[in-house]
Amino acid sequence: MEKERKRRDVIVIGAGMAGLTAALYAGRSGLSVLVLESELVGGQIANAAGIENYPGLPGIGGGELIAAVQAQAEKFGAAVDEFDSIVRVELSAQPKIVETESAVYEAGAVILATGMKRRKLALPEAARYEGRGVHYCELCDGQAYAGKTVAVIGGGNAAVDAAEYLSKLAAKLYLIQRSELRADAASVERLRAHGNVEILLQTEPRALSGDGKLSAMTLFDKEAGAEKEIPMDGVFVNIGVEPNTALFADQVHLDKAGNVVAGEDCKTNLPGVFAAGDVRTKEVRQLTTAAADGTAAALGAAKYLRSPGKQNF
Amino acid sequence: MVKVYSMTSCPWCVKAKKYLESKGVAYQDCNIEEDEAARVACQKLSGDLMVPVITANDVDYVLGFDKAKIDALLSA
Repeated sequence: MEKERKRRDVIVIGAGMAGLTAALYAGRSGLSVLVLESELVGGQIANAAGIENYPGLPGIGGGELIAAVQAQAEKFGAAVDEFDSIVRVELSAQPKIVETESAVYEAGAVILATGMKRRKLALPEAARYEGRGVHYCELCDGQAYAGKTVAVIGGGNAAVDAAEYLSKLAAKLYLIQRSELRADAASVERLRAHGNVEILLQTEPRALSGDGKLSAMTLFDKEAGAEKEIPMDGVFVNIGVEPNTALFADQVHLDKAGNVVAGEDCKTNLPGVFAAGDVRTKEVRQLTTAAADGTAAALGAAKYLRSPGKQNF
Repeated sequence: MVKVYSMTSCPWCVKAKKYLESKGVAYQDCNIEEDEAARVACQKLSGDLMVPVITANDVDYVLGFDKAKIDALLSA
């Protein structure tokens, strides 16, 4: 059966802070807007227990913050669909084509706000233990490790926050980082206050083992130059992120790190295609800069759609 | 009756429940943090305490948000 064809002024790909802010501004500009998200609305902050650095909202939960932004965007007419996955985009076409599992959308402008995805643990056996000792969502899977020994791998804010959450459940928690911690001093201080936490720096995971389910992890202490195996029930991986661009990597210019090349105006190399948030080439990746990008991209799209010949794309 | 074993702040649990709502499927939300009986039932069903767990008959279940598997579970 042929898919239904639909038209929208703007399609936003990704419903994190950048995408939802873009939807809010595009909606307020009187444009018809659809936001498509195949993973979690909220992106990386959907998992965040408490956000301390969003101005005016100290300590707000990630889910709560993003729900408020989504409601604000929807109030101005934006629609968010988190169940219809994109199968194909044609960004250099005019109108632009965004095909999902259920429809073919024609859009005057497209805002790429796909953000970042978590890096997977680079051990050959990691995939085999996924869901059986190797995890990527502490809020979903942490309860299974109450009273057990767990590790968080990583040294950024997300890793330290995950470790703090898990330290309240686990009997013993290791934070394992191959170099030094990059997290805020305040977060690290809070984590260190838990008596069951051991922080292993300059330490790399080398192997996972266990019969069907994880039961031990081999670590390499870089300073001592020695390996050791420790009993381990669960490992939560938080080793950073990479740009989420597989859908359109062959259509827009990317930099060496795989980010979409665009300046502060969020314009990509393709007319009518904008990049906003963490997926864009930039120095600072924060919620505040994502919101700023969403604003610039939406207002840029509105201006683009007002230009001669684009009104009825 | 469809049941969703969940936790309050688990984002994939929220998504699973929203998906059922989008399809007009009535479900019972069984929060394993707040309800000890739900916690025991979840562990008995899936052998673990990872969420979301979705079941329609207390025997077959889907762990995590997997649209295709949830659709298959609902149409079985």
